Amino acid sequence: MLDTSGKSKNYESPQGARRRKLKRSGALGAKKIVGPVVTVLVPTFNRRRYLAGALASVLRQSYQNLQIIVINDGGEDVIDTVHSFNDQRLIFIDRKENRGKAYSLNEALSLAEGKYIAYLDDDDLYYPSHIETLVDVLENKSDCQVAYSDLYKVYCNVCPDGSRKVLSKVVEISRDFDRFLMLYYNHVLHVSLMHRRDLLEKTGLYNENINVLIDWDTARRLVFFSDFHHVPEITGEFYQPAEDCDRISVQRRKNEKEYTKNIFTIRTTRPAKPWTKLKDMSIIFTTEKLNKQAGTTLGSIWQRTFYPYEVYLPMPVDNFERLNSEMPNIIPVPVNPSSSQSQRIDTALARCKGEYITIVPSGFPMREFWVEDSLYALVNSSAKTEGFELEDSTDRLWALVVRKNDLQHARKSFPNLPVRESLSAAGIKIRRLQPEEIPFQFDQLLHEGRSAEKNGDWSEAAEIFEYITEHHQNALWMKTLAAKASFNAGSHIRAAKLSREVNQQRPTVDTLLLEAKVKREEKDLKSAIELLEKAEQILEGKELLWA
Amino acid sequence: MGITHNNAETHASNRRVDEQHDSTQHYEVLQELGDCYASVGNYAQAQQYYEKAAVLSPDEAGPYVGLGVVSLQKNLLYDAEIAFRVACRLDVNSAKAYAGLAMVAQERADYKQAFEMYLKSLELDTNNLIALLGLFQTSCQMGSFAKVIHYLEVYLDMHPGDTSVMFPLASLYMKDGRFEESKKILLDFLTLDENHKDAANLLEEVEHSLAQAKQETQTGTRMR
Repeated sequence: MLDTSGKSKNYESPQGARRRKLKRSGALGAKKIVGPVVTVLVPTFNRRRYLAGALASVLRQSYQNLQIIVINDGGEDVIDTVHSFNDQRLIFIDRKENRGKAYSLNEALSLAEGKYIAYLDDDDLYYPSHIETLVDVLENKSDCQVAYSDLYKVYCNVCPDGSRKVLSKVVEISRDFDRFLMLYYNHVLHVSLMHRRDLLEKTGLYNENINVLIDWDTARRLVFFSDFHHVPEITGEFYQPAEDCDRISVQRRKNEKEYTKNIFTIRTTRPAKPWTKLKDMSIIFTTEKLNKQAGTTLGSIWQRTFYPYEVYLPMPVDNFERLNSEMPNIIPVPVNPSSSQSQRIDTALARCKGEYITIVPSGFPMREFWVEDSLYALVNSSAKTEGFELEDSTDRLWALVVRKNDLQHARKSFPNLPVRESLSAAGIKIRRLQPEEIPFQFDQLLHEGRSAEKNGDWSEAAEIFEYITEHHQNALWMKTLAAKASFNAGSHIRAAKLSREVNQQRPTVDTLLLEAKVKREEKDLKSAIELLEKAEQILEGKELLWA
Repeated sequence: MGITHNNAETHASNRRVDEQHDSTQHYEVLQELGDCYASVGNYAQAQQYYEKAAVLSPDEAGPYVGLGVVSLQKNLLYDAEIAFRVACRLDVNSAKAYAGLAMVAQERADYKQAFEMYLKSLELDTNNLIALLGLFQTSCQMGSFAKVIHYLEVYLDMHPGDTSVMFPLASLYMKDGRFEESKKILLDFLTLDENHKDAANLLEEVEHSLAQAKQETQTGTRMR
């Protein structure tokens, strides 16, 4: 006789284990208030249908010491929904005027009292252990002031009555913190993020002048002041309707010009110093005069550079009136019209605040990562006195990135030599980067694996994902991809092994399904049913009822 | 040295991959659960999961095939026929649905209809063992074997060593007077399953027929 109770004997999620422990200790159910206050911000706009579920998921948290601030951003009336919970931890800001999400979050932050801040969108859900998991890490297990977990992305059909029919739950991203990538692209889901409230005193509040990617903008600024601790546990879910999405953020992304402008704004945002986790870069831009070519190169720097920077422009004063005032982070440095290029660089260098100095001439070709490739090599270089020629550097258009101390030492020691020669004379080795030094190697391989998947070359994809698993971070994520690719390539035993490894650590619907399929092929129907029922529990949202 | 990489493309491409979501995951879980429960004989649970799968993905034929099988097991032939017909309508290439209709017809002793449906199923999927064995049974019931031999041969080519097909094929060769071919298959079969009594008996019979045929040939030669 099969056990059809749906209780898996082999797998228990870390949340499950923690919950049992807490139940034994009497912490759950007793609503014991221990630990620092966590303020959860829940902005809402015209999603009355889902808000109750979102709020219930916060109030059901195993961690009880909460302040929950709901902000109605001028949307349909939700007062009944909020008041129906009759919970004193809830604060409701009922604004009639629509001012946007950034404004709403700032308004809520003005009332926040928690040591930590967490976020929840009005149509998403926390699992009961979400807050507890992140508080535990921030309080006990990490020097980080920011932590995040993984979430299921739930693809669903929305029925005419507004209810959601779940089609799949997938952990699409489970990525360890990568500061360099965060400057370029957001790999942290905001709903899974928790950070110390006092960090916002350093980063500044939400930028109300941008209307898309406001979460990345804030997370990117947090990167300047703290590492992020990744907890590879699934502690909630966010919803993605299968039909064309009516989300405001999705609609706004369709306006490409506006979207790009927002990205430029985000990438050029520099919080106030001192930065504790990031070194600044000063770009010394050399040109005889501010002509069209110089303007184009400057414009490209603005568009292509994602590492935080300021551009120093050493040139005679009469050029400055031609500067594009829209371009941020430009610092004009007046120089004597008769000074040499080396002298102009020296004048600018004396004013540079960055720990890294890039020297780049007008007309230099500006591709994506034009400076970050070499900068990344320099940041990770253990050699004390070396710099890097940029990849597109030539004798005519010579460009480099070097530590400020090294350049200052070279110029002080050999002020009469041209810059290049002075560095050489001072023993600063200037070289080109090696292939293994370029950034985003993980992404490069991931892209190759995805392309192989897309072309139906599943064996190749499986091989790539397994290689990444062994040689890079993000092992759970990569193992899941490798398992799926192996299965599609016909290597079912390999797929089962990989799935089992993932399931023992952190079961997901995908890996449970894969392992079950192989068990069924092996005629082990009892095990297959256990695995499938666990998957079905997750799909049906039983995780939400755990507490 | 030129170092190139396409990170920008990478992120754009990853976004595209994200958009190509897997919409069948939940359906697959329910369908697999239905199939597993049906395989262990828990038809009530199987039916429950097939029904959920059908609600979630109303355009998929799979759940209706499953529901048809469950009804067949409960001997509810009318319900089974309806379910298999729905499956055929949703997927005109569903070999399993046609095999299901054939089984319903066979249960009703409508061997002609069953034979046609099994043939249709095998045209769509020569790899369908249930249809193949059903076709064999129906042929035996009707006394007509010509088409069956062809499908059994195709199946055995695809699955060399599948003993469930070797014995019926050897029997048909025997009935067709193709003793050498029958003997070869039976010898292979007995290598794989040396204790199979029916196969051993059939081999004995085939060898006897071969000897008889040989004797007749020799007698004929002498007569000439």
